[in-house]
Formats: sequence, C-alpha cells, structure tokens
Amino acid sequence: MSARHNPSEERLLAYAAGTLSPPEAVVVAAHLAMRPENDAWVRQLQAVGGRLLDELEPAAMPDDALARVLARAEADAGQALASTPLNDMAGLPEPLRRYALGPWRWLGPGMRARDVHAPRDGDCRVILLEIGPGRETPKHTHGGVELTCVIHGAYATETERFDVGDFEEADTEVLHQPRVVSPDPCLCVVALDGQIQLDGWLGKLIQPFIKL
Amino acid sequence: MIQTFTGTVLGSMYGQVSDFQRIRPPVTPADGEYDRLIEAVALRRDREAFARLFEHFAPRLKAYLMKAGAPAGAAEDFAQDAMLTVWRKAELFDSAKARAATWIFTIARNRRLDVLRQDARRTPMPEIELSQDEPERPDQILSMSQDAARLKTAMARLSADQIEVLRLAFFQDNPHSEIARLLNLPLGTVKSRIRKAMIKLRTLLEDDGGEA
Repeated sequence: MSARHNPSEERLLAYAAGTLSPPEAVVVAAHLAMRPENDAWVRQLQAVGGRLLDELEPAAMPDDALARVLARAEADAGQALASTPLNDMAGLPEPLRRYALGPWRWLGPGMRARDVHAPRDGDCRVILLEIGPGRETPKHTHGGVELTCVIHGAYATETERFDVGDFEEADTEVLHQPRVVSPDPCLCVVALDGQIQLDGWLGKLIQPFIKL
Repeated sequence: MIQTFTGTVLGSMYGQVSDFQRIRPPVTPADGEYDRLIEAVALRRDREAFARLFEHFAPRLKAYLMKAGAPAGAAEDFAQDAMLTVWRKAELFDSAKARAATWIFTIARNRRLDVLRQDARRTPMPEIELSQDEPERPDQILSMSQDAARLKTAMARLSADQIEVLRLAFFQDNPHSEIARLLNLPLGTVKSRIRKAMIKLRTLLEDDGGEA
C-alpha cells in the first residue's frame, strides 16, 4: 500500500485554529471524517488552543454583559436548536452532507461535477468531481491552490497514487493530469481557487466549454 | 507532498525528550473546577455556575477576537454569543473527552469564521463538533487523549519562538502572511517554524505511551 497523503501540518493547524478559508475547511473536514488519526490530532490541537485562550490577558467586559446573556438564555428556554437537513448523497462523509448540492454537469466523456453549496471565499469554491475508470482529466495547471480529497475510488498522478481519504494540495506550479486507477468511478471533493488552465492545443480549444 | 507521521522517525529526531515526559506537574485545580461548572449548567441550568464561567472566559474570548483584529464592541458581542452557546450546548460537554477551556475554544473557533468574514453567506460553516460520540479508536490514538497535565508539560518543552508562532497561528486572521509581517520573517521561514513546532508537539504527545 502506498504512503498515506495527509494535509500539511500548517494546514491542519489553520483548520484547528479556524483560520482556513471556508471552502478549504470543507475539504479538510471531509478528510478528517475519513482519517480518525488526523481528526484526533485536530482535537488535540483544540486543547492547545484552549490553553492559549486560557493564558490570554483578559479584556474587561461591560458590567451588564452577563445579565444580557442570561436574559437571552431565558428568552430561548424550551426552544429546540434547529439542525441542518442532510442532502441526499448518503455515501458522502458527514461534513459534506450538510450542504445542498447543485445538479450534475457533464464535463466530458466519463466526467461530471456538481457544486457543493458551501460558503465561498472570493473565487474559491467547492465541487464534487466524478471521473470514470481509466479516464484522465485534461492536463491542467491552476490559477490558485487546489485541494482534493478522495471519497470513492482512486486516482494517480504522474508520480503518486491517491486512495480513499487521501488529501492532495496542488498549487500553481503543478501541471496536473490525474488518471482514475480504480475499477469504479473516482469521486472527489475539491476546493478550487482561480481558474483551471488547460494545457496544450486541444486544451486551449476546449477551455471555453469546460466550466468548473 | 507526502506527509508521513511516523512517530519512530520523528521520535529519534527528538530522542532526548522522553526523559522529561516522566516529570508531570499536577493538574491545575482550576481546570477541573471549570469542568464541574459546565456540568452544573447542563444539569440544573445553574446561573451561579454560569456566572463564574462567564467571569473567567468572557474577557478571554473578547481578547481572543481582538487579537484577530476585531474592534472592542464586536469582540464583546462575540464573547457574549460564545458564552450563550456554552449555556445552550452545555449538555454536549463531556469532561472525559475535553477540558472546559478546550471545549470553549472550539466554540470560539467555530464562531470566528462567521464573524471575521463579511462575505460568509448563511450556509453552515465547517464546524468541529462539540459532542464527541465517536467510535472507539485504536490504542495509539487513545494515547493522544486530551490530558491537560501532559499537554502542559509538552507545551512547556517548546521554545519561546515555537510558542510564539503557535499563538499567532491560533489568534491572527490570515495567519501566515500576518505572522511573517509581525515577526519580519520570510513566509517560508514562518511555515517551516510552524511545521517544526507542530512536529515537536506531536512527538512530545505521541511518544508518551499514555501511561498514567
């Protein structure tokens, strides 16, 4: 079995701290749902955050702050907290089920995508991408960072293989042409920042028709 | 990039560390006290207990958001909202799984994206769950359980530089570039300093076989 691909330490720390952009955090959350050991580490980092919070120099609150919070607590006594309805893709990791999904869009033979209606951050958005066995995406580079987590199946790049739960970070430097190597379609959740640039004359020809 | 978190390799890098892990300071009495207070809120809607929690944590929650650049008024609203969540969700707290400060930090972490990002739409943010009814984990993960005393020892073993980048990473908005600016360091140096701090922390916490 190939080495497991995990998010970098900096990215896990940013997720634990709550400073990652929301689309990126959605992909990391999906990864953590499939990798208990990394989820446990993020929990441990919550304890680090707790200690640092506890050690902060307190900033005085207004005198009536407590009374106001208790009044609000009183006001909602007996009200149940609304829970978010889950979407219909039962196979998704739990963090992804809380978001509405757009319709599937055909992208090319054996390739389709749908939007995950998670919070956006500027150009950065979340999609589900499904690619059939043996298919490869057109060769492409990225306008920004692309984070990918495998939900079903597996794909391989020129040098590495990515299985269920694996996490890949590709930046503007990477020329990317993943190929699906599992017998079933490969489903990924992807945070895309910026436009994908397709490589080669064919890519430039079809670029206007491929809208991710 | 492949990240492998093998404790043995990292452990040999910091081999001298293990001797120190046998020296454990006693748990601060205050730690357990705040746990009991949250339980009292959960069991009896105990306003006196809540007042004591508020007195300790609200000024720290205000300081926390001000570190991220929020003005005092917004930080006070944030602290009140976070404490209202403590009141509403106290039943989800389990002192066997997390300490009071850890749990309240997670509440703050989940809220901060909503507050600091003006463009956040009303879609749910990727939150870290406050209840932790997770399936049983393998042994090596249980050894990373949130043990306040062990964490305190581990954090005391980090260098002043390392604690500083962790603190900045947890509190600043847009942390990496902001840390680089504040410390007048190149971005790459900041990232490698964060990575080293994280690896050292992980080593200190994981190498300890979880013995009492």
